[in-house]
Amino acid sequence: MSAVLAGVGLIKKYGSTTALAGVDVEVGACDSLAIMGPSGSGKSTLLHTLAGIVRPDGGQVLLRGERSEMGVPPAEGWGRIDDLGENRLSALRRKRFGFVFQSGQLLPELPAEENVALPLMLEGLPRAQAVERARRWFAPLGLDGLERRRPGQLSGGQAQRVAIARALAVAPDVVFADEPTGALDQATGTEVVRLLTSVTREQGAALVMVTHDAEVAAHCDRILQVRDGRISNYSQFTVS
Amino acid sequence: MRSPVLHLTWHLARSSGRRGLQSQLLAAAAAAVGSLVLLTLLAAYLGAGARADRTAWRTPAPDRHGTAIQALTTTYVRDEPITVVSLAQLPHHARTPAPPGLNSFPKQGDWYVSPALARLLRTLPPTQLAYRFPKSTPYATISAAGLASPDELVAVIGRAPTDPTVSKSADRQGIYDDGLTARSVVSGFAGTRRSVFTADDQAAVLLGVGLLVVPVIVLAAAAGRLGAARREQRLAALRLAGATPRQILAMTGVEAAAVGAAGALVGAVAYGALLPALAEVPYGIGTWYVGQLWVGLPWVAAVVVGVAGLIAVSAMSTLRQVASSPLGVAQQSDPRRTRLVRLVLFVAVLVYIRVSTDGSALKPGTLVALMVLFYGAFWMFGPWIVDRLGRVVGRFARRPATLLAARRLSDDPRGAWRTVSGLVLAGFVAGFFTVGLLGIVGFDHRGQVAVPTANAADARHAVGEARRLLRAAGVDATVGTDDEGFLLGSSDGVVARVSGGPAALDTAVTVLQPLGAGRLPYAGAYAEAQDTAVSDRLAQLGTATLAVSFLVATASAGLTAAANVLDRRRTYGLLRLSGTPLRVLDRARVRETVLPLLVLAGGTTATGLYAAVQVNKAAGSTISTSGAVQLAVCVTLGALAMLAAIGASRPLLRAVTADPAHATD
Ligand SMILES: Nc1ncnc2c1ncn2[C@@H]1O[C@H](COP(=O)(O)OP(=O)(O)O)[C@@H](O)[C@H]1O
Ligand SMILES: [Mg+2]
Repeated sequence: MSAVLAGVGLIKKYGSTTALAGVDVEVGACDSLAIMGPSGSGKSTLLHTLAGIVRPDGGQVLLRGERSEMGVPPAEGWGRIDDLGENRLSALRRKRFGFVFQSGQLLPELPAEENVALPLMLEGLPRAQAVERARRWFAPLGLDGLERRRPGQLSGGQAQRVAIARALAVAPDVVFADEPTGALDQATGTEVVRLLTSVTREQGAALVMVTHDAEVAAHCDRILQVRDGRISNYSQFTVS
Repeated sequence: MRSPVLHLTWHLARSSGRRGLQSQLLAAAAAAVGSLVLLTLLAAYLGAGARADRTAWRTPAPDRHGTAIQALTTTYVRDEPITVVSLAQLPHHARTPAPPGLNSFPKQGDWYVSPALARLLRTLPPTQLAYRFPKSTPYATISAAGLASPDELVAVIGRAPTDPTVSKSADRQGIYDDGLTARSVVSGFAGTRRSVFTADDQAAVLLGVGLLVVPVIVLAAAAGRLGAARREQRLAALRLAGATPRQILAMTGVEAAAVGAAGALVGAVAYGALLPALAEVPYGIGTWYVGQLWVGLPWVAAVVVGVAGLIAVSAMSTLRQVASSPLGVAQQSDPRRTRLVRLVLFVAVLVYIRVSTDGSALKPGTLVALMVLFYGAFWMFGPWIVDRLGRVVGRFARRPATLLAARRLSDDPRGAWRTVSGLVLAGFVAGFFTVGLLGIVGFDHRGQVAVPTANAADARHAVGEARRLLRAAGVDATVGTDDEGFLLGSSDGVVARVSGGPAALDTAVTVLQPLGAGRLPYAGAYAEAQDTAVSDRLAQLGTATLAVSFLVATASAGLTAAANVLDRRRTYGLLRLSGTPLRVLDRARVRETVLPLLVLAGGTTATGLYAAVQVNKAAGSTISTSGAVQLAVCVTLGALAMLAAIGASRPLLRAVTADPAHATD
């Protein structure tokens, strides 16, 4: 399995609480990884650290295809991203990562298709092309005919599917999802996570998903159990 | 109010942290600005009335069984009016009481002047002013009780009953004399007619109050919203803690009212402290006596309560919207469309104004009514045009920030309109008044002095005498009985055309005094007094309205921008996490205000100018270019101040989006 993203010896402290106490994790291209654990165990912190949102106090985050800003690269074709500047990190998240959060990530006054097109426009794609590219995602995600609806006019499941489209529109290497089904009922949540995993896989992107729902986690290739900032259990369903 | 609510409110207000404190302080500051502005407006309104009433004793109230003759006339020096009251006790009649500001009824030969006139008498050469008055005795001072303003120029002169200045020929005659010259037998000083120079003050202030009340309400509403946005943050937590929505609403109301009242009190104290400074702001006849601007404690209390109440209502209604939406975000699933009827109404009003301004010249009252009508129509029209603007820009936008701004405009056109309305309407008002009415020009009276005489024969006789007097005083002038400038109105008399500046003109008025048979010669300012009184007041009102609107509009733009950031901190935070540059979000915020501001403020200012040209064309006057420049500068400065106010919430945007834990939990 060829990895695309790796965390090595990740440590994160908030005052006296240790959110991450030395975590090693590797995410393969096309791989899907579920992070599970009790509330406050450090799941979100781990996801944020891997996604370059939170800077670790110790350890490294490595991404394939990045060039290190300073020092020798840890391995051929890999780069450290945990020490990049704010602007480069922001650009990196925009270009190489996609994000799906629990709720509230869509701009309420923008029609669904423009919410999806926005990251493409930020990348400099002309608006007409960006919207055209965005629209292609609607049918596969079962959103046909909802292109001009605004988030407030969509159901929770539909809004999450629009968020998935937005995360994937930029053709990211890794999609990060933090409790993507947290605001949905069981049936809708299952449907959304099924779509999320299958579409991510089809796109050849990796998926890192935080959830506390075992049924949701079961859609992923691997499950990582976190407790008190450490990996407590690690299981693999499929062999690649 | 049950005590648990009060207790919990206090607890939460104290534990809301630094950002909570900041938004409380901002809301309180807005309340302070609001109450300061309202109290100042109220002071101007009540003060203008009180002041005008102080002038009433000078216009004689006829009484057939009177005991004295009172003659009012008005003379100008350096284009400033001097009110001259001549008084003569009738022999064998009861003693007449003292006029206001004097210790006793003036004896023949006594004269009294206001402090401001005394200063002028000391500084100007006597040939330009002092020789218009009795030369013999020194004068005494009129006290404040007889004056409307410390700057007022007033003289009270005791005369013999046979003196020409109190004779029948000193009564009003010509068309220009109305309110400036009058004579009657009186028994006291119970006149009720306000002077020409103060009669329109109160109405003009009222118009300004009408124009400014809405921006102040918008400001208070913005302050209330700011508090509610923060409160919504802990709405869910409160629900979990077992508070009912009604309790939460009550808590919000109590907290907002307390913050609002505290701010409004600060504003009231500032008003009290600023009274001496406010009194130095000239309006109409000049600066104020401090006491005239003190509105009294009941009014102060009413304003404080009103502002606090407004903020509480705004906070509660904002929270109600938030509380009823499932995600706790104030989002309308379907934005209410602004309907075409708004445009239709607006056009109808425009057409009506166009029709009614065609042809005959307008009375100031009609003009003001039309203006208010336009203002109302514009308030209807604003949201519609903002909505259209949002859609047009939304269709053609190519940059993400522009697209975001455009979508927000059509999402909440009323909100966007409220933010810019103050400046937009101020632009219109100012365009209309400062540019339009400054330029009223009827006949050309420049350099002319009129000396009315009893009849045409006297006038012919007076020509030679006038030449001699002017030559002796060293004034270069041509004298005749022809009156092309219609300065004499329809009466007989002599017109001198003086070359030289204001000094020469004032000298001519002074030295020609003996020819007037009881009446003082006068120049153009006298003939135009009625018009200038109105147009000056409206021009001052325009400037004041513009200045206060800018202040208020800037404050509410800043507050609204901050409240918007707090409202959407979750979405902004998540977008920032996903790599959306903060720069783009910030630009969208700015464009959201700049777009309607450019289109509307530019548009209305132009409309105001156009309306002014139309109205003045009918009145036969010209446009003042200096006014236009002044207006352009003002609107530009106002827009820049507004941008700065929006920019002020940039650190807030950065702060609320910085912590991923806040955005994702
Ligand atoms: N920004 C922060 N400031 C302080 N403590 C934090 C912050 N973010 C997380 N923590 C703490 O770190 C620990 C792990 O948090 P988190 O990763 O959010 O847990 P999870 O997502 O598993 O519920 C918790 O104890 C939490 O309180
Ligand atoms: Mg979490």
